[in-house]
Amino acid sequence: MPHHMFKCSECIPERKKHAVIKGEGEDLTSCLPLGYLSTIPGSISERGCAYCGAKHVIGTPMKDVIHLSHGPIGCTYDTWQTKRYISDNDNFQLKYTFATDMKEKHVIFGAEKLLKQTILDAFKAFPKIKRMTIYQTCASALIGDDLEAVAQDVMEELPDVDIFICNSPGFGGPSQSGGHHKINIAWIKQKVGTLEPKITGDYVINYVGEYNIQGDQEVMQDYFKRMGIQILSTFTGNGSYDDLRCMHRAHLNVLECARSAEYICNELRKKYGTPRLDIDGYGFEALSSSLRKVAMFFGIEDRAKVIIEEETARWKPELDWYKERLRGKKVCLWPGGSKLWHWAHAIHAEMGVEVVSVYTKFGHQGDMEKGIARCEAGALAIDDPNELESLEAMETLQPDVIFTGKRPGEVAKKIRVPYLNAHAYHNGPYKGYEGWVRFARDIYNAVYSPLQRLAFLDISKDEIPTDKGFVTRRMLSDASLSEDVANAPGLRQYTGNYDSVSPLREKTYPPFERPSPVEAA
Amino acid sequence: MENLMKDKIEQLVDYIMKNCLWQFHSRAWDRKDQNEGVLTKTRQLLCGEHVVLETPTDRCHWVDAVCLAEVFRERYAWLNEMDKDEIVGLMQGLRERMDYLTITGSLNQELTDQRY
Repeated sequence: MPHHMFKCSECIPERKKHAVIKGEGEDLTSCLPLGYLSTIPGSISERGCAYCGAKHVIGTPMKDVIHLSHGPIGCTYDTWQTKRYISDNDNFQLKYTFATDMKEKHVIFGAEKLLKQTILDAFKAFPKIKRMTIYQTCASALIGDDLEAVAQDVMEELPDVDIFICNSPGFGGPSQSGGHHKINIAWIKQKVGTLEPKITGDYVINYVGEYNIQGDQEVMQDYFKRMGIQILSTFTGNGSYDDLRCMHRAHLNVLECARSAEYICNELRKKYGTPRLDIDGYGFEALSSSLRKVAMFFGIEDRAKVIIEEETARWKPELDWYKERLRGKKVCLWPGGSKLWHWAHAIHAEMGVEVVSVYTKFGHQGDMEKGIARCEAGALAIDDPNELESLEAMETLQPDVIFTGKRPGEVAKKIRVPYLNAHAYHNGPYKGYEGWVRFARDIYNAVYSPLQRLAFLDISKDEIPTDKGFVTRRMLSDASLSEDVANAPGLRQYTGNYDSVSPLREKTYPPFERPSPVEAA
Repeated sequence: MENLMKDKIEQLVDYIMKNCLWQFHSRAWDRKDQNEGVLTKTRQLLCGEHVVLETPTDRCHWVDAVCLAEVFRERYAWLNEMDKDEIVGLMQGLRERMDYLTITGSLNQELTDQRY
């Protein structure tokens, strides 16, 4: 096994089994780190907790819901304006965050009364919102408050409201992934099947494991609508609470992030017989194949082909402009979980970059299997890295850019490595054809930032050139390109708009002729 | 001859590993069903045989198989020169290799966890 021991972690020998280098000829039977285990004491992990996974990742993207944390106010950190899962109802779930603000006295005397009053206050403050999710935290779990009983009490007092209880305290798993699991299972047990949907089409899907980061869901929804496919519910980005109660009526579960949401797909498959189709919304080839598969499932492949041809013709010349300039650039792909496999091959094949390292903060060994399988030989794969290991890896690998979260991203900046936000994006959405070009543009802007170059000069000791004027990204990126490539006809930089999502909300879709009963049969 | 076949199988494995997701469900039994469902239908398509589509799960396997068979034909010209028996042998070898990499030889300790 090609394990890798970081010098900085020699004092934590257990860490050795959490990193591997994919050598030439290595495969998954010889090259896989451990994963989804409790962080080793002494290693300062970058992970989130199980409450964070349940609430901040999966719960809160639901748009028409009061999201209430039953715990100390500090647990709501990261909920207010720091996540970018937008919605088409004026971002209610982003604008307001709720907590019971438990104190020491509540730990001693209990906090159920406080919880009930907070629920009533919240519904009173937002009378148009009739749905709520209550998230347990470590504190309220440890004192044994009965959230279900309080919620039941309120639902009897206010018959027009519905409340979902998510018992996923921070300590409920090795990482936020434990919370993903808990909220998946809680939702299907408590809510799926409690409401009947209005079916408006012949082809009905749940779009699962999609969180509408900067509008991803709305981009994909546009493609599905253009194919005449009804999205019954999205779990959970831009998703509606009541739509998600109707998940049992879909014909197909289209699964995007298997890391966070395969559980509910598997349960829907077991309980209702709804099949699961895993797709990739990132990258021209993977996305085209995904749209085709969903369409083929329903026998409407021709509709997908129209979209694929139209979108590819519009956006491929722009993707290729960036590919010519990103070829060979070294990337550390260090996201939380699923993007390590969603992106590893696609950015190499379609943007020309070299993925020199992948890591996952909370992924399981299954995610690493996918990620390592999609990397080229030589890549360093790390499970649950700590900050020092990340620094050592950057010093060793000398990446041109890293894709990671905002906290490790700021660490990278300190050693002058540019970073892109892999969780919330810089200038997303990154899904869809246009989105993939926006991602390429962001990478280009990061790699060739003139400001970044200046950051390498230390005015206390370096000689500062005074005979040179400013440079532009284009001057930097095209310096090593041949004339033919630099001015290749047909290739161009991104020409889309600053906001690529809002226009989709105004769009209308012509109805398709419904198949006759004979054809349908 | 054997090495040649192995090399061809590895080319197909490489494509699947880098571009597909169906082989990586989270439990061993699930992976077995997926490998069998998708690769059997891919073989049937490549051999021009009838593909049974009785259940929604069959359709899911079939859509992956259609894409796979199409790409195999496009990317690997040598496949188009094989006769039916050779394709059956190739796909049998591919199935065994995929089962080994994703199930029997896998280092993923979660594969045998009874619960999802």
